[in-house]
Amino acid sequence: MEDRFEIVGIRKMPDVKLVKKEKWYQGKPVFFAILLGMILAVCLACELVMTKDPFYLDLQHCNVPPDGEFLFGTDTLGRDIFSMIWYGGRVSLFIGIVSAAVSTGIAIFVGAVSACAPAWADALLMRFTEIILSIPSLLLVLFLQAVFGENTVFSVSAAIGMTGWAAMAKVIRAEVIKLRKCEYVAASKCMGGSFLHILWEHFLPGFMPSIMFMAVMEIRSAILAESTLSFMGLGLPVEMVSWGSMLSLAEKAILTNDWWILFFPGIFLTVTLLCITRIGEYIRRKF
Amino acid sequence: MVRYRLLDGVKKVFLFLFSIFLLSAAVFFISRLAPGDPLVSYYGERVERMGIQERVWAEEKLGLKDSVWVQYIRWLGNAIRGEFGISYKYKMDVIEVIKGRIGNTLLLGGVGFCLVFLLALLLGIFCAWHENRMPDRIVCTLGTITSCIPEFWLSLLFIFIFSTNLKWLPGSGAYAVGKADDWGSRMEHLILPLTVLVVSHIWYYAYMVRNRILEETGTDYVLLAKAKGLNKRQIMFHHCLRNAIPSYLSMAAASVPHVLGGTYIVETVFSYPGIGTLSYESARYKDYNLLMLLSILSGAFVILCNMAVQKGAERDGR
Repeated sequence: MEDRFEIVGIRKMPDVKLVKKEKWYQGKPVFFAILLGMILAVCLACELVMTKDPFYLDLQHCNVPPDGEFLFGTDTLGRDIFSMIWYGGRVSLFIGIVSAAVSTGIAIFVGAVSACAPAWADALLMRFTEIILSIPSLLLVLFLQAVFGENTVFSVSAAIGMTGWAAMAKVIRAEVIKLRKCEYVAASKCMGGSFLHILWEHFLPGFMPSIMFMAVMEIRSAILAESTLSFMGLGLPVEMVSWGSMLSLAEKAILTNDWWILFFPGIFLTVTLLCITRIGEYIRRKF
Repeated sequence: MVRYRLLDGVKKVFLFLFSIFLLSAAVFFISRLAPGDPLVSYYGERVERMGIQERVWAEEKLGLKDSVWVQYIRWLGNAIRGEFGISYKYKMDVIEVIKGRIGNTLLLGGVGFCLVFLLALLLGIFCAWHENRMPDRIVCTLGTITSCIPEFWLSLLFIFIFSTNLKWLPGSGAYAVGKADDWGSRMEHLILPLTVLVVSHIWYYAYMVRNRILEETGTDYVLLAKAKGLNKRQIMFHHCLRNAIPSYLSMAAASVPHVLGGTYIVETVFSYPGIGTLSYESARYKDYNLLMLLSILSGAFVILCNMAVQKGAERDGR
């Protein structure tokens, strides 16, 4: 329909939507997720990529710089670093995930029990948590390892996992105290739901978003703890290949000026930690 | 009111002593459960050539023969009188051993702590000032990367680059041989460890400062200040920063254990003669008496800091 009148004095503007359409990948750490996925996939399928046996001590080829045969060179014991990276990555990531699972499990248990227990038990558990929190975790891991005896992949991940739960337990306790008063929890109790049932069905979905970030960060700090311990000679021994134990040869490598022994495990460690951090930050923003 | 405060203070002291007691018991029993031979750290290589009789005599001399309970009670009795025994490795009173080293750690840790917090504050303000513009984004990306580099690897890299290859700075020790009183030499040895400490810790705190200030800039009083015609600098420094500082200070106290742990790692990599290297050695070679006093010292320090944080939170009326 034609307008009878035309408004004069205004500039005709094309109808433009002011809101830019967001692409699906915007604000998401896609690059880091793919990178982490790639590292993870290659580590899991390391048998397909490895050019040498990561445990074979090729004493004729010690400290060989990177070349066509040894892609990342060899270390002071004559092992091929390229193969060790992938095999050791599997160990490092495994320790990270297992320790994070252990500490999340302990945290959920301690936090939920503490929130639902009578006041004196709650106070006792919280004091205990604070004491754990106040001891430098490196010292704690050292002691736990002493109790476990020999250092294996499982003992190291258990030791790291058993020291990292304190902060998470406090968060879970605060969340459960909030959830405890909800009516659906009371209803569930009246219908005879056990503590574990309520924990699993009602509390867990409630506090999951707030600890997702912490659980992911726990993987990161567990990988870091393992590498630091192994580097200092307190974690996995040199014969067990992981990124940390590979770096325990680095001090010798500095004296002989072999940069590749020092460089490759460290760069893989850093990149992995960076990817996990970025994904963790995204989870925190999202929830 | 006064009575209440007094009661509260007594309660705090009691809680502190009780925590220390628990800590000492835990360290004592666990370190003795651990495998390893403390005689090695006292007699060194000679242990391997000892006969059974000599071993028994040596264990009796060091008081390792009795059951762990008897040993702990004896240790506790001596500790209350201020005697912490001798170090097996250094064959000196442990207090003397620690006295010789603690100055180095306090220097490294203290200067490092101050630097981290001062620089983090400045960096945080810088980022908040350029919120979401180029400088902020660059610093944020760089910061995330540096905070992901493992501390010990960064130390190794620095030693490799600046000490072994470029030969600019020394890579180990606290001072050149025989120059314990030379401050220039000490400074030279401090630069690399300090840089590692600052680089690996700064971003965590700078990011918190940035977000804390940005939280403030979204509030109504900032809008009022803008409407009043104040410029950005006045708003930032006189209003936002003033509100952000108290929570920053309490965070600083809470982060002492974090930075302390970092100092220990850095010390070990740089073979810096401080408490960190000493704890590592004593834990590794079962130097029991030294380990006990060291863990109690660090534990007490950390617990005191936590108490200070709590006290501060109570005082802060808001």
